[in-house]
Amino acid sequence: MNGKGDGASTESSRKRAAAEGRAEGLNIGWTVFSYLLSGMAAYGAIGWLVGRAVHVSLLFPLGMLVGLGISIGFIIYRYGMHGVESRAPRKEMTGDR
Amino acid sequence: MTGDVGVLASGGCHIFSGCGFPAPGLQDFNWKPFFTVGTFGFAKPMLLAIIAALVVIVFFWLAFRSPKLVPRGMQNIGEVAILGVRDQILRPSLGKKGDSYLPFLVSLFFFIYIMNVMELIPIFQFPVTSRIGFVWPLVFIVYFLYLYLGFKNQGAWGYLRNMIPPGVPAPIYIILVPVELLRFFVFQPFTLGVRLFGNMFAGHLLLTIFTIATWYLLTFSVGLIYSVGSFALAIFVFVLETLVTLLQAFIFTTLTATYIASSLEAAH
Repeated sequence: MNGKGDGASTESSRKRAAAEGRAEGLNIGWTVFSYLLSGMAAYGAIGWLVGRAVHVSLLFPLGMLVGLGISIGFIIYRYGMHGVESRAPRKEMTGDR
Repeated sequence: MTGDVGVLASGGCHIFSGCGFPAPGLQDFNWKPFFTVGTFGFAKPMLLAIIAALVVIVFFWLAFRSPKLVPRGMQNIGEVAILGVRDQILRPSLGKKGDSYLPFLVSLFFFIYIMNVMELIPIFQFPVTSRIGFVWPLVFIVYFLYLYLGFKNQGAWGYLRNMIPPGVPAPIYIILVPVELLRFFVFQPFTLGVRLFGNMFAGHLLLTIFTIATWYLLTFSVGLIYSVGSFALAIFVFVLETLVTLLQAFIFTTLTATYIASSLEAAH
């Protein structure tokens, strides 16, 4: 058994895991950000349209808050408990700039 | 260039000389065209984008025009560049099966990087990507590829269905559809483009502010202390921007690779 070779292999797999974690962290970070924006925009727009029809301007900010809530709920569902169960564990998960 | 740098370059605009601080702004991103053809004006950012493309093409052509088994000279640098993109960007997202996308990702990474780094090179001194018009075409190319590969590999219905993870109750689907559609078709490409543009725009603005302030405050008065401080900050931002230019190209290309990966197979 070559100890030096094993060490190099471990180092290589550690670097690979770090790079995979970085890519996944980037993807998840920006997807989550997009979810937050799109939830607010989608339900804000629906609230604005309904509010315009029924002459209740409060429905616009209310729609945005509801959309934000839906987004946060879905993010927790997808990347929280459910996501942790469905994804293989990573050795390193980094954040994003 | 219009505006503040021009005012300063003309000479004596200093504090206590009755000249107000020529604060940088949007006017510093608008360039007078070199020439116009009808309504089309050919300005400095366009020239820099062409130079950036030529740099990438010529560099890789020179590096690999007659490749040797034992690399020498420019082939060494070219191989390091390609392996860097492959091991740090492509393989972590796509694995070995994604190697056919290496030429695209290498070109994309270096084209964006060269356009970014022009901010720090004397004479050029302007990041092309701080003009959002140069970023959107890149986003459209990436998104077109993303959609094309997704529809081709998963089918239109399968691709759209895979946006929402399995196991979600049917009523929740209806609630999530507007959010998912807007995220996928609007905000995901929007954030991809605006992040690159925003970082380069802000970086260039900061560099301009501190550089102008250094000159503006440079007098034999108390202003000298602030001038030195401003110069130190300009150096700091310059060093920071050397990292940001690379990082932004890296993030854009990494996200492109993850998008391609999610198009090739269902994400969950």
